[in-house]
Amino acid sequence: MFKNEEMEINLGPQHPSTHGVLRVKLRLDGETVTKCTPIIGYLHRGVEKICENQTYFQGQVWTDRMDYVASISNNLGWAEGVEKLFGIEVPRRAKYIRTMLTEQNRLASHLLWLATHALDIGAMTVFLYAFREREYLLDLFEAFCGARLTTTAFRIGGLREDLPPGFIKSSQAFQDRFLACIDEYEELLTENRIWKKRTVGVAKLSAEDCIALGVTGPVLRAAGVPYDIRRAFPNAAYAEMDFEIPTRPEADTYARYLVRLAEMRQSHRIIQQCIDGLPEGPVMAKIPKILRSEVNEVYHPIEAPKGELGYYFVGEKGGTMPYRMHVRAPSFVNLQALSKMTEGRLLADVIAAIGTLDVVLGEIDR
Amino acid sequence: MGVNSPTALEHVLITTKVEKVINWARASSVWPMTFGLACCAIEMMAAGASRFDFDRFGAGIFRATPRQSDLMIVAGTVTYKMAPVIKKLYDQMPEPKWVIAMGSCATAGGPFDSYHTIQGVDKVIPVDVFIPGCPPRPESLIYGFLKLQDKIMTSSIADRYKEIFEEVG
Amino acid sequence: MTDPIDPQAPEAPEAPAGPYVYDYMAAPNRQVVLPKTVPLPSLRTYQAEVAAAAAADEAKWQKQLADFEVAKAKAEAEGKDAPKPPVRAVPRKDDNDLKTPWPTEAKDADLLKLQELLGGQVEEVFEQAGERVCQVKKEAILEALKVCRDEPSLKYEMLADQSATHYPAAKDFAFSIVYHLTSVSRSRRLRLRILVPEGFVPESACPLYPSANWMEREIYDMLGIRFANHPDMTRILCPEDWEGYPLRKEYPTVGLGQRDIDFRDDRGGVLNRLAMEKAGQMGINLKQPKAD
Repeated sequence: MFKNEEMEINLGPQHPSTHGVLRVKLRLDGETVTKCTPIIGYLHRGVEKICENQTYFQGQVWTDRMDYVASISNNLGWAEGVEKLFGIEVPRRAKYIRTMLTEQNRLASHLLWLATHALDIGAMTVFLYAFREREYLLDLFEAFCGARLTTTAFRIGGLREDLPPGFIKSSQAFQDRFLACIDEYEELLTENRIWKKRTVGVAKLSAEDCIALGVTGPVLRAAGVPYDIRRAFPNAAYAEMDFEIPTRPEADTYARYLVRLAEMRQSHRIIQQCIDGLPEGPVMAKIPKILRSEVNEVYHPIEAPKGELGYYFVGEKGGTMPYRMHVRAPSFVNLQALSKMTEGRLLADVIAAIGTLDVVLGEIDR
Repeated sequence: MGVNSPTALEHVLITTKVEKVINWARASSVWPMTFGLACCAIEMMAAGASRFDFDRFGAGIFRATPRQSDLMIVAGTVTYKMAPVIKKLYDQMPEPKWVIAMGSCATAGGPFDSYHTIQGVDKVIPVDVFIPGCPPRPESLIYGFLKLQDKIMTSSIADRYKEIFEEVG
Repeated sequence: MTDPIDPQAPEAPEAPAGPYVYDYMAAPNRQVVLPKTVPLPSLRTYQAEVAAAAAADEAKWQKQLADFEVAKAKAEAEGKDAPKPPVRAVPRKDDNDLKTPWPTEAKDADLLKLQELLGGQVEEVFEQAGERVCQVKKEAILEALKVCRDEPSLKYEMLADQSATHYPAAKDFAFSIVYHLTSVSRSRRLRLRILVPEGFVPESACPLYPSANWMEREIYDMLGIRFANHPDMTRILCPEDWEGYPLRKEYPTVGLGQRDIDFRDDRGGVLNRLAMEKAGQMGINLKQPKAD
């Protein structure tokens, strides 16, 4: 009498979950997902092609707009990649300031993740609280480089200018009140029965699957693998910083939530070390006004808040513009894992899975 | 009943035109649709969050579905693959509807002059207010929204629907 | 009476009427300029270039000495003072902090092990900028990846990135495909590279590294390189009906005009058109016959 068919629905490019224009084609058997196919490309802006026509100095502008939630990480990857291509050594003070800004940017990105993930699952208060903290960080970024969101904070060879007066004082003020804020979020969510029911055991991805699928970042660390590029291939001033790499063995959404909160605490620790140990000195290396490359290719990965962000440059002889620029976006590779995480689970878990992967369509589609 | 000496009746009675009342009602409760595409979406969310509260203008409830919204804030880059989707969503919105193009990408393609980016969302749908910036600060978005409210308040219902009536016949 | 002919004064250039208008169609990023060089980093070509530059420098110095001898003999013959002896030119040192990384001999244990295991399949190994690079023959890529992943002393478990570059000026090949492998347990990186000509279909890395799935789809979408045995070889970023491969060097940044379609022609016109085409492909006739 009743036909038991599978229904194919479209979680279209426009949906309330605020991760961007992601389309997911779902085949459902009732409420259970049997097949899940993410379809991307709705924000493909051709950044790689555009950057082939921009000089090494100019190309940084487009990198902020890829992972637009955490622009400073993108800028760090670009600046360090070009510096590796040319063999430029950055002064120590610049490295410390870069590290400090990158960690503050990691905090801003994780706060936005927490806000949107909680909003998707239904906890709307956390959205307002996390954005309140984020506003303090965006004020700091604006004081340093003039823009809240798309920062273009760094320059090839260091920084454009030293920190503005009062920056350290404001950062310290933020540091002093931030740990209480993380405790506030934990109080709202960590032992919350509804949160636990929605996230424990949901969207599991084991360590072998993670490594096979190339998934990096908090997702890999929540599966128990202590792989962090800041520790494995240190860049900027991370070699001199003392921090832990939080991992959890369970590899589900709740574990990723705990790992990201712990990462926020570690970032707080790193920023404190940067503020306390900031060395004196110049902030810009001596480089020629026009950078001409030799025949060279580099791949420079950094630890962005979402995973391993890699910049691949190919330079040509005497060229002022990269011959080829490719960005290995962490969300692009992480999103491949969505089908594995959600097949056999319920529809509501798909939303939790997208949130926990922390995808940003700007860097997926480039 | 002179102008200078209000009587008891005038304390409780205001005379005006129906059009003004309707425009005032429409401007004070514009319900936007969540249509954040790229970076400007984050600034739109920040505008709706605690610091730059968007709710005090009556536009706090972001509806997820176009069927219940009056305003589409196109925040972010419009690409070739996304353009038919935008058109479909715009067609699904009931009249009266307005569109704000937020950011340089929605206004004119922004910094992305490439093969896949539509140079401005007004090549896809008609736009009422353009807000430049990359991304525009939440205050800019609020200013643009206030300008939209002015536009709604001063618009004439007869003029708005005249073109549609003429087209339909 | 004829007027005296004035000497020709140079014609004043035509002053353009109206305000200055920036010609955006002539902007550099809109012009397609095919590159003439092949910037493929390689130890062999670098060593050859260095040797050639040294030889040219040596030849120039010998010529300077010979010229000096000739000039000295001439001056002695004429009784004048001997000219100044030539001084060997020292290469000018730039006053900046650039230390360009050049390709060097491979000394790393991983690269030597790879060379030993793969033998003749390896075309080149070298190190540059602290990175280990190994170029293999294009038919042997699957074998090389298998060795990297399974060999206990190598253990490169993760494929971090796979991308490709178009070299239109090269003769034997058209693209280079690079695989960036990471060993999570040993914290090491390796780059494998193959050179493929136009039309060659390399083996897909998906059976060994499932993360290559979308990466290869992106390479196909952007450059047109198909991969054999790939589960789903379709376009991923551009729409399905896109023409052309954007990251090729002959494709202009602003595209071939597909983005300038007018989507506002009529209400839902674009979708109607797409629906008609799709129905036509399926054999359904959607057009209503006109009533006469």
